[in-house]
Amino acid sequence: MAFNLTTEKFEGPLDLMLHLIREQKLDIFDLDMEALTDQYLAYLNKMEELHLEIESEYLLELAILIEYKSKKLLPKDEKDEGLQVEDPKELLVQRLLEYQKYKEASYKLNDNYISRQEIFSKSPSYEDYLEKDSDENKIEGNPNDLFKAMNRMLRKMQLSKPINTSFANKEISIDDRILEIKAQMVDLSATFNFNDLVTDVGSISEYIITFLAILDLIKDHILLFSIDDMDNIYLKKAGFN
Amino acid sequence: MMTIIGREMSKSEKARWRNRISKVKKVIGQEKDLQAIIEGLLYIAGEDGLKIEQIMMAIDSNHDEVSKLLRAIREKYSQKTSGIELVTFASRYKFVTKDFIYPYAVKLLDTAKPQTLSQSALETLAIIAYKQPITRVEIEELRGVSSEMMLRKLLSRGLIKESGRSSAPGRPILYEVTDEFMDSFKLDDLKELPELPEYENEQEDLFD
Repeated sequence: MAFNLTTEKFEGPLDLMLHLIREQKLDIFDLDMEALTDQYLAYLNKMEELHLEIESEYLLELAILIEYKSKKLLPKDEKDEGLQVEDPKELLVQRLLEYQKYKEASYKLNDNYISRQEIFSKSPSYEDYLEKDSDENKIEGNPNDLFKAMNRMLRKMQLSKPINTSFANKEISIDDRILEIKAQMVDLSATFNFNDLVTDVGSISEYIITFLAILDLIKDHILLFSIDDMDNIYLKKAGFN
Repeated sequence: MMTIIGREMSKSEKARWRNRISKVKKVIGQEKDLQAIIEGLLYIAGEDGLKIEQIMMAIDSNHDEVSKLLRAIREKYSQKTSGIELVTFASRYKFVTKDFIYPYAVKLLDTAKPQTLSQSALETLAIIAYKQPITRVEIEELRGVSSEMMLRKLLSRGLIKESGRSSAPGRPILYEVTDEFMDSFKLDDLKELPELPEYENEQEDLFD
């Protein structure tokens, strides 16, 4: 079965409206609300046909569009005229223009973000000179810190790797690694560094398996973790206070 | 306050450094050598970079002089023959490789894969950067979509932070961008943000 999925990804109802305005070549400053409403509705109908989930924000804006349309159909009440402070059409145009501003700014920001990653700096040289954290029992951190620290460590490893290497991968399962780590832990102090576990590890895959193994151990409350400013991952045997 | 990046110096340390620096100054004491010292310090600091105040403290000098020396270093490294340059992101001076190094770095690291930010993350960041401090509701009004999850993601990536509470009813949390955001987007100051485009209704002029 062939089906035609032309739906772009939109960031929200305003993004969709801007797209429709461009596509239908509508004048944003003199917005044809009727055409916009029809197109908007047609788009949502199509999404429904395709059984795509329509987020509530899209329906909210649809309600506003339809309300505007229905008001147009009713005879104008002379008395109300004076009270109408804000024209909903003007309001929508303002919102669209405002949104478009930030959307465009975000493209420029993205250029900066990408080019920033094409320039590199080196790690600070004073890490070894700073006193070691005296409060080693402080165990805290969130999973995202753990993830970031691991990423940086892998990057460091990447840099220290010779350019041309070939080595046979010795496959080891996470479960086996957990057993190994448990054995290693016997000889380690109550709080130790992740690096202590990987002193004899030569490949990225073993590094990662070690990392996955400690994630398992953390999940099972066998280990606790903390990360310092230098991205050292400290592990602590649970139950040692 | 005297600090070695992130750590306050003890009195004796301060004295020791001052003493050593004044000795160094006595021996060489010329502008060119101070420039070399700053260069060395910047090399040590690496990606952390140095604030102008930290350099002032380290070489026992004033703002104007350090600025001048930093300009000279920037100038020196802007030469074609240099592969690194001096940049300022979030008020921190640091050495980085020049952009033309990148294609070669990719070959060297073979798996270097740039990180990306989704369009919705970029839009949210743009709104916060231009309008900070700003509340979640204000962001949502501008974007027309719920932004709670996105804010949580940006917070955990360290690109935005909470900055107190608005005086509006319910005292909602205010958000602003972090130094990490400034660094990730190559900005020294928020004033460097690209100017927002203005869409003027040209027809309106006809009725004026």
